[in-house]
Amino acid sequence: MLKRHFREFSVLGVLLSVLALLGVFAPDFFAPQPLLSRLTAAAPKLVVACGIAMVMISRQIDISVGSLFAVCSVVCGLLAAAKMPVPLAIASAIAAGAIGGALNGVLVAGLRLPSIVVTLATMVTLREGLRLARQGVFIDLPDGLQWIGLPMIGGQYLVCGIALTVLAAMAAVMRHLAIGRAVYAVGSDAEAARLAGIRPRLITFVVFVLMGALTGLAAVMNVVQSPQVDPNTGRMLELEAIAAAVVGGVAVSGGRGNLGGVLVGFLLLACITPALTYIGVKPYWDKAIQGAVILLAVVADGLRNRKNGR
Amino acid sequence: MFRSFALFLCVGLALLTGCSRSGPDTGAAPSGGAPAGKRLTIAFMPKSKGNGYFVSCKQGADQAAKDLGAELIFDGPVSPDPAKQNEIIENWITLGVDVIAVACENKDGISTALKRAKDKGIKIVTFDSDAEPATRDFFVNQATPEGIGNALMDEAARLCGGTGEFAIITASLTAQNMIEWQKFIEARRMAKHPGMKMVALRPCDDLKDKAQAEATTLLGAYPHLKLLMNICSPAVPGAAEAVKQAGKAGKVKVIGLGLPNENRRYLKDGTTDTVILWKTVDLGYLTVQAAAALAKGELKAGATSFKGGKLGEFRIVGDNILLGEPFKFTKENIDQFDF
Repeated sequence: MLKRHFREFSVLGVLLSVLALLGVFAPDFFAPQPLLSRLTAAAPKLVVACGIAMVMISRQIDISVGSLFAVCSVVCGLLAAAKMPVPLAIASAIAAGAIGGALNGVLVAGLRLPSIVVTLATMVTLREGLRLARQGVFIDLPDGLQWIGLPMIGGQYLVCGIALTVLAAMAAVMRHLAIGRAVYAVGSDAEAARLAGIRPRLITFVVFVLMGALTGLAAVMNVVQSPQVDPNTGRMLELEAIAAAVVGGVAVSGGRGNLGGVLVGFLLLACITPALTYIGVKPYWDKAIQGAVILLAVVADGLRNRKNGR
Repeated sequence: MFRSFALFLCVGLALLTGCSRSGPDTGAAPSGGAPAGKRLTIAFMPKSKGNGYFVSCKQGADQAAKDLGAELIFDGPVSPDPAKQNEIIENWITLGVDVIAVACENKDGISTALKRAKDKGIKIVTFDSDAEPATRDFFVNQATPEGIGNALMDEAARLCGGTGEFAIITASLTAQNMIEWQKFIEARRMAKHPGMKMVALRPCDDLKDKAQAEATTLLGAYPHLKLLMNICSPAVPGAAEAVKQAGKAGKVKVIGLGLPNENRRYLKDGTTDTVILWKTVDLGYLTVQAAAALAKGELKAGATSFKGGKLGEFRIVGDNILLGEPFKFTKENIDQFDF
């Protein structure tokens, strides 16, 4: 167990050391209410990171999630503002995400185009289309949408609960269900998977649709945290999600990684920025430290691959 | 291949049209014929037409044109687009307008077109954001960095009673205008409000949600914080929401540079105390007044003051006509503004 998941456990070790240091130097970091608020604010990113991990395991990439996140947020906001019942507005946002994901899926799986190019195109198209349509104007949401009408604490537990449920469900699917195993198989060796009776293109398409739907869900989880939608939201989200997956040990080359690692990678990156504020480090260090963590993860993977002769 | 492409187009169009605002198009098409008689033709271009900020500038511009009995042509790109701005200016050169007033999306990008217009004898005024100084006659400057810095710092000190910790949320650590503002905020703090202590500076990448997260962290990390100063517009509502959710509304003050509509709810419920900007209606009004005076030869290079119609005297420094002190949006006056 320890040996097989050495990569994940080493990141967990780093995370625990960071938390221990914070416990000594900035115990306020663990004050329950701001901690819950911070986790709630980060929870949508975890959902996107889970999706990205799955996409990467299938040996694809999706950099359009940030733009799609903004589109889904705006769809949810506009429909709710137009007096559509809240559950319907939420469902529409998730559906919009699935449609966006299906578009990527058709282009990647159907036309066999490289996913980095396809999702680069959809990333730019969706973002610019949104800018054209909305001009950056905020959308004011009706009262019933924030925390889905719950008291704030209830809403925060709900958002965090959904993120953990998604994580657990995806971990179970990837580990125990045939489709999950098929994603690993396609990511390891698509030709071998095909010979074993798996349909790699169908799997790829399904992966992108699911990625889109998860992005829509994440957008909703973010929208409910504030009474206004900023149509610029989600900028750089794709990078944060990919970084969480990479730090958590998901291989960009496909076929390797698990959701537990994603959780640890996500938590590590999510706590660095606030931690720096708590210990009073100048903000100029933020990106440098984030970058160093990612670099370290990539180098560790590279070294391990060389040792294993891959 | 074709089927997928068609699908791509359909989805793209559906997304675009589904989201597009059906508000009235404020851009009046330029009338084809030359202006009758000696009636002055003023062409007025925002960075983008639908933007509420510029729509409110246009209100003032329309009023000034009415006061002057001049014809106002209002046109601009649908979304900020330097190339489209050039195209419109070329059209105006052909049309033979008397004077062009423009808010430039890109300083360098627009210079060639403006220079060509100037060579044809068309007078040029810039407002909101300047072009290369050589390519225009005057810039109507809505707020100097010093004016903004002083207004923010003075307001912060006033709300905190002169002493206490505050933190700044900015867009990015590299944005030139924000670095400039911070410099003047710090200079003012040292000179006038030494009791105020800036404990942290955090970037929010110009995103409301990130500003909310940063503000939440700041509130937790600095329990003695008395005020959050937000110097990019999405950060003001973001910080206000964080303060409200932390149950610190009123205890931690929120001020910043922002837009009235985005902050209306927080100004009204008392979470945000002051939003600082300039009077956009007056900016449009003064710009058109200056444009007209320039075309008539009443306003010449070297002038040190200018009478802007019903708004009275304005100071001119170099070739900048100063709109004056920044304006403070508060609970009391917020209902008069909609942008």
